Amino acid sequence: MKLELRSQSKEYPPPNPHEALIKITMLLGGVVFLLMMVFGLLMRVAQGGLIDLDPELFYMLLTAHGAGMVGSAALSGAAIMWYFLARHVELRSQIYIAFLGLFLAGVVLILGAIFIGRFGGAWTFLFPLPALSGGLWEAGAAVTFCLGYLLIGVGFLLYYLEIGLKISGKYGGLLGALGWRYLFRKDATDLPPPTIVAAASVLIFNTTGIVFGAAVLAATIVNLLFPAFDVDPLLAKNATYFFGHVFINATIYMAITAVYELLPEYTGRPWKSTRLFIGGWAAVVIFVQAVYFHHLLQDVNMPAWTLAVGQIVSYASGVPLIGITVFSLLAYIKGSRLKWDLPIGLLTLGVVGWGLGVIPAMIDGMISVNKLMHNTQWVPGHFHTYLLLGEVAMAFGFSAWLVRDKAAQGMSALDRLVFRSYVGGGIGFVLIFLWSGASSIPRRWAVHFDEWQLQSQLASVFALVVVLSTFVMVVRYAAGLLRRS
Amino acid sequence: MQTSILLVTLALMALSGAVMLRVLRAKDGPSPPPSVNKQRSRFIWCLVILGVLVSLASLRDWPHRSAGSDALIVKITSGQWWWETDTVEIPLGQQVEFRVTTEDVNHGLGIYDPDLNLVAQVQAMPNYTNKLVHTFEVPGTYQILCMEFCGISHHDMINEFDVLEESK
Repeated sequence: MKLELRSQSKEYPPPNPHEALIKITMLLGGVVFLLMMVFGLLMRVAQGGLIDLDPELFYMLLTAHGAGMVGSAALSGAAIMWYFLARHVELRSQIYIAFLGLFLAGVVLILGAIFIGRFGGAWTFLFPLPALSGGLWEAGAAVTFCLGYLLIGVGFLLYYLEIGLKISGKYGGLLGALGWRYLFRKDATDLPPPTIVAAASVLIFNTTGIVFGAAVLAATIVNLLFPAFDVDPLLAKNATYFFGHVFINATIYMAITAVYELLPEYTGRPWKSTRLFIGGWAAVVIFVQAVYFHHLLQDVNMPAWTLAVGQIVSYASGVPLIGITVFSLLAYIKGSRLKWDLPIGLLTLGVVGWGLGVIPAMIDGMISVNKLMHNTQWVPGHFHTYLLLGEVAMAFGFSAWLVRDKAAQGMSALDRLVFRSYVGGGIGFVLIFLWSGASSIPRRWAVHFDEWQLQSQLASVFALVVVLSTFVMVVRYAAGLLRRS
Repeated sequence: MQTSILLVTLALMALSGAVMLRVLRAKDGPSPPPSVNKQRSRFIWCLVILGVLVSLASLRDWPHRSAGSDALIVKITSGQWWWETDTVEIPLGQQVEFRVTTEDVNHGLGIYDPDLNLVAQVQAMPNYTNKLVHTFEVPGTYQILCMEFCGISHHDMINEFDVLEESK
């Protein structure tokens, strides 16, 4: 990818017709992020033995935390990408409203299933757990939970159908929007913009992921209603992890469009599509789907080649991220005279956190390492790095940009305090997860042995710092919305 | 082993983070030279070559090794929320092939040494028998913990066995 470091005059795009909807979505996402962080804090405090939390409630909170965080990441990522796509193609607000409505209806069902129906099977439950609760929940609660997921999935399919139609219409079909034809042509002067390439790529792999997720959800519902109906548990596990891996990764790949579109406003250097950029995204489309085998490295009945693919692609997935996205971000910022403010600080943190988080993920993707780290707290260690310090940071960066004071430049003292607290708390929190993983502490345990409680207690302190800084960000965003309205 | 993994990971993260921070702090310095694209190409090729070398080195001896003909077979069955093993005393230094299955939902067989370090694990799946081969080098009481979330008493799913210095 040839970097275009020449400065350009700052030309701000016209007002975005979807701005109000997107602002409401980001408020919803921010509030849910905060609430789920509180749930996370409660779980760490309980694991540290500082409060007495009933294990049943713990596993319900665990389920809500996982589903809520992934849901908020998906919602905020989708809102960000929709907002910036609207700079390039004309999207219909009605479709977004339908997407949001289906999403919220799904959330209501999921919350009802958990807190009324006491469903506590975790966000990526493994078949046939929903049907075998040990008395905690009834089949109806599990069905309701699955239906909630399905509604959200339908909303996303509608969302992707709309963006697929619009970008295909303008950029010569989906292949044109992906830009793959330019990989084999000399002329690369008319490449689709980065946001379009990202959107076309995400819609391909996330649609596939959602279809696999829907298949396993449908099978689970039928099994719950007609227990004689059975599915091969290993097949179901493959479908579950394929869906889960693709869906959570899609949240970050949607949110990165904020960096593509906003960084140039700060640096004066456009983030351009090049052959390398197109090639990187083509690799992502393949890698993000092929890599899910790394969730099955301890399923020794899987064909050996799948496990080898899981390891190799785990590593390969990091190459476009570090070699293209992170490298480009750094090169665009170096020497740009950029003035740091909260939005660009958080967006940059998002890319850096994503890039650093992939390191423990790549290492855990090695079969020999995975034998010792799989399902220990190493796993939440790496995914919290690229979510808490990655996608979530990007989401809050975008939110802060939506309500920024255009007259003010730089970071205020409060901005600096909030940013440093979030970064410091986040780093401490994820490092303790990694340390806990190396100490063999299993993940998803409601009650920890005495020997493991110190880590949870320390993690609780860092989690509290993150919760407080997030609280300030959400309140300031809400205040910004009120001020601007 | 886990400590080494942690230290290598932290070193790589610290090194990468320091490089990123240094570049970000250079926002007011000179712009990247025109050779930045060549630097990037070299960097990507280095990452690719490193990946090939690490993959070859780590996969040449398949990590899920097979048992020898003289391995001790230990059958472990599981369910919500229990482990049942047909052998509770294992000779030190003896290669063991655990054959693990479950009667209901997915579980994860995690074997913890007397110091609570995870030494090996494998998934337990309904309708499947998964094999795990391990040779115990330290005597003592080992615990079997569940590594895969399996319901409300997941954390109570604990059993144990002894690894004994055999008196020959």
